[in-house]
Amino acid sequence: MIITNSLTKIYGDKTALSIDRLEIPKGQCFGLVGNNGAGKTTFFSLLLDLIKASTGEIISNEIAVAKSEDWKNFTSAFIDDSFLIGYLTPEEYFYFVGSLRGIDKKEIDTFLEDYLDFFNDEILNQKKYLRDFSKGNQKKVGLIATFIGRPKVIILDEPFANLDPTTQIKLKQLIRKETEDQDVTLLISSHDLNHVTEVCNRIVLLEKGSVIMDKETTSKTLQELEDYFSA
Amino acid sequence: MSSSLFQLGFKKFLRAPQMEAKLSIKILMGLLFLYFGGSILFGGIVIYPALSKKFPQQDAISIINSILVLIFIFELIIRYFLQQLPVTEIKSLLLLPITKKRIIRNVLLRSLISIYNAIPYLFYLPISIALFKDDYLLSQAFAWWASLMLLSLSINFITILANKNNKILGSFVLGFISLYVAENNFEIEIIKLVGRFFDSIIEQPTMALIPLSIFFGFYGITFNFLKNNLNLEGSLVAKKEVANAERYDFLDIFGSHALFLKNDLRLIVRNIRPRNVVLASFLFLFYGLAFFPTIEHQPEFFIPFASIFITGGFLLTYGNYVPAWDSEYYPFLMCQNLSYKRYLDSKWSLMTFAVVVSTLLSIPYVYFGIDVYLMILSGAFFNVGLGTWITLYGGLLNKQSLQLNVKAKAFENTQAFSGKQFLMILPKMILPVLLYLIPAKIFNSTVGFITLASIGVLGIVFKNQILNQMVRLYVKEKHQTLKAFTQK
Repeated sequence: MIITNSLTKIYGDKTALSIDRLEIPKGQCFGLVGNNGAGKTTFFSLLLDLIKASTGEIISNEIAVAKSEDWKNFTSAFIDDSFLIGYLTPEEYFYFVGSLRGIDKKEIDTFLEDYLDFFNDEILNQKKYLRDFSKGNQKKVGLIATFIGRPKVIILDEPFANLDPTTQIKLKQLIRKETEDQDVTLLISSHDLNHVTEVCNRIVLLEKGSVIMDKETTSKTLQELEDYFSA
Repeated sequence: MSSSLFQLGFKKFLRAPQMEAKLSIKILMGLLFLYFGGSILFGGIVIYPALSKKFPQQDAISIINSILVLIFIFELIIRYFLQQLPVTEIKSLLLLPITKKRIIRNVLLRSLISIYNAIPYLFYLPISIALFKDDYLLSQAFAWWASLMLLSLSINFITILANKNNKILGSFVLGFISLYVAENNFEIEIIKLVGRFFDSIIEQPTMALIPLSIFFGFYGITFNFLKNNLNLEGSLVAKKEVANAERYDFLDIFGSHALFLKNDLRLIVRNIRPRNVVLASFLFLFYGLAFFPTIEHQPEFFIPFASIFITGGFLLTYGNYVPAWDSEYYPFLMCQNLSYKRYLDSKWSLMTFAVVVSTLLSIPYVYFGIDVYLMILSGAFFNVGLGTWITLYGGLLNKQSLQLNVKAKAFENTQAFSGKQFLMILPKMILPVLLYLIPAKIFNSTVGFITLASIGVLGIVFKNQILNQMVRLYVKEKHQTLKAFTQK
C-alpha cells in the first residue's frame, strides 16, 4: 500500500529521519515506537505531505504523495489538535469531515451511533465548542472522525495519549475491528508499548531517525522492546 | 513581592512576539504609532485656539466641554473592542504564596500602564496648557485636566468590568440608549448638563473631587468584582460559551460552496478576533459619508477611492488574513479530501458574497446622485473581479499564524502583518483610482465607470484561469505556509 524509497528529512545539519526502504502492505496494522525526537511525527508528516522530504519519495496506493493531491481521497489522519476546528461543535465537525468525503448528515448520524459507547455520553449534544472540551474528549472526536468514509489509509499519532483507561481499552477494540477489514492500512505511533504490541501486527522501532528494529509482532515482542528501552 | 510581579509584566512585554518581529515591521509600527499619537496630540494643541478663533463670542473651553460625553463614549467603544487586559497569566500565580489582594492590585495598576491611557496626556494636557495661557488660573487648568484624566482612567476600569460581565456591558448600552432617547424626546439635555458640570469644575476647582471619587469608586467596584471572581471558575479564565446551534441553512442556496460559507460564518460569529474585524469592516460602509456630502469640493481621485472602500471593507479587513484565519487547523485542511482549487474558490465566493451584500447595503448612497452610486457599483465590480484575487495573493504572502479567539491588541497586528502584505493593499487602492481617473480625464466619467467595471467583469469572465494560476502559487507555497502556521 505504502512504499517509501531512500526517504530522508534533514533540518540544517541534523538528520531527523533517514529510512532506506519501507514497505507497508495493504491491511497491515503498522506500529511505530521510539523515544521523543526519534522521528515518528516527522515520518507521519511526510506521509501526509505536511513537510517536504529532503530526498526520496513516498508512494501511497501508486500515487506519489508529494506530486499529486489524489492520496487525500483515501487517507485520513489525526496527528494533534491542529486537526480539530476549535469553534465547531463535535457534530458540526463530523458533518464537515463527512461532507468533504461525500457523506451526508443522515449517514453521519447512523455512523456515529456505532460509537456512542466509545463517546460515553461526553461528546454528542454537549452544546460546547471543541475548544472547550478536555484534551481526552477532543481526542475522541479527532480519532472517530478519521474513520468517516471508510478511508484505506488511517494515520494516528499517539492515539492512546490523554485518553482515560476505559477509553484506551475501547480504542484498542475499535482499532482491531478496523483492521479486520483487509482493505484498511493503519499506522499508529505510541509510547505505550503494551497497547501498540497488542493491536499492531508489525512494529518498527525508530531511534534518531533510523530504523533499529522491524518485526512481526509475536508474544516476545513486548519483552524485546522493554529490554531495548531499559538498556 | 510587588516588584517581582511587575518584573513578570515587564518580561512579558519584552518577550512578546511583536517585540521579536522584524526590524522593518517594528519601524512601520513605530511610524504608525507616532502617526496616531501625533494626530491626537495635534488635535489637542489646535482645538482650543481654533475654537477661540471661530467662535470669539463663546468660551472655547465650554464648547469642548459640551462634546466631552461623546468623546467618552467613543473612548469606551474603542477600549472595549481593542484594549487587552492583563489578566490572562493569573492562573499560574494563584498557587504561589501571594495574597489575592496583591495580585488584583497588580492587575489593576498594570491595566493603567496601557497605550490607551496616554490619551489624557496627548489630548487633554495641551488643552489645559492652552487654558492656563489664556488667563485661567493654574488651579483651574489643572483641576480640569485632572478630572478628565481620572474619568478616562475610570473608563479603563469600566472596560474591565464590561469585558468580564455581560450584564454590566448591557446596563451601559441601555444607559446610553436611554440617554439618547432622553436627549431627543424630552427636554433633558444630558450632554449639555455634563458640559456644564465641566464648566463648573473650571469655575470651582474643588469640584474635581467628584471625578476623583468616581475614579476611586470604580477602582473599588472593579477590585471587589475581581476579588470575588479570582478563581478558576470565576471571570478570570476564558468563559466557556454555550454553543449556538445555528445551522445557517439559508446558505444552502450556494450549493457546493455552502459548506465552506457556513464554516466561515461560524468562524466569524464564534471567535473574538474575526468578529471584531468584521464589525470594523461594516464601518467602511459609512466611509462615503465623509466625502459625498461635499463632493464638489473633493479632489477628483477621492471619489473612486471612497467608493472602493465602501464595498471593499471586508476585503481589506477580513480578506487580508484569508488563509491565516484557518491557521489553527491548516494541517487538518491539508490532509482532507479538499483540493486547493475548491478551498480558494470557496474563499473567493465568501469575499464576493460580502461585496455583493455591501453593494446592496450602499444603495442609500443614491441620495448623493446616481453618479455616486454608479461609481460605487463599478468599484464593486472591480472588487469582485480583481480585488478578491489581489487579496488572495496578498494572503499567500502572509506567513504568520493567527489566534482566533483572542482580541487583537493595538499595534499588535504584527501577529499577521508583513511589509509585503502592506504593499498588496496599494494596488487594491491605487489601481481602481487610475482605472477610473485616466479614462475619465481623457473622455468623460461614463467611460471611467465603464473601464473600471469592465476590468472587474474581465476578472469574473476569466475567473477559472486566474483561479488555476492562484492554485499553482498556493501549492508552491504549501509547505512554507504550513511551517509558518504551525510555529506558535
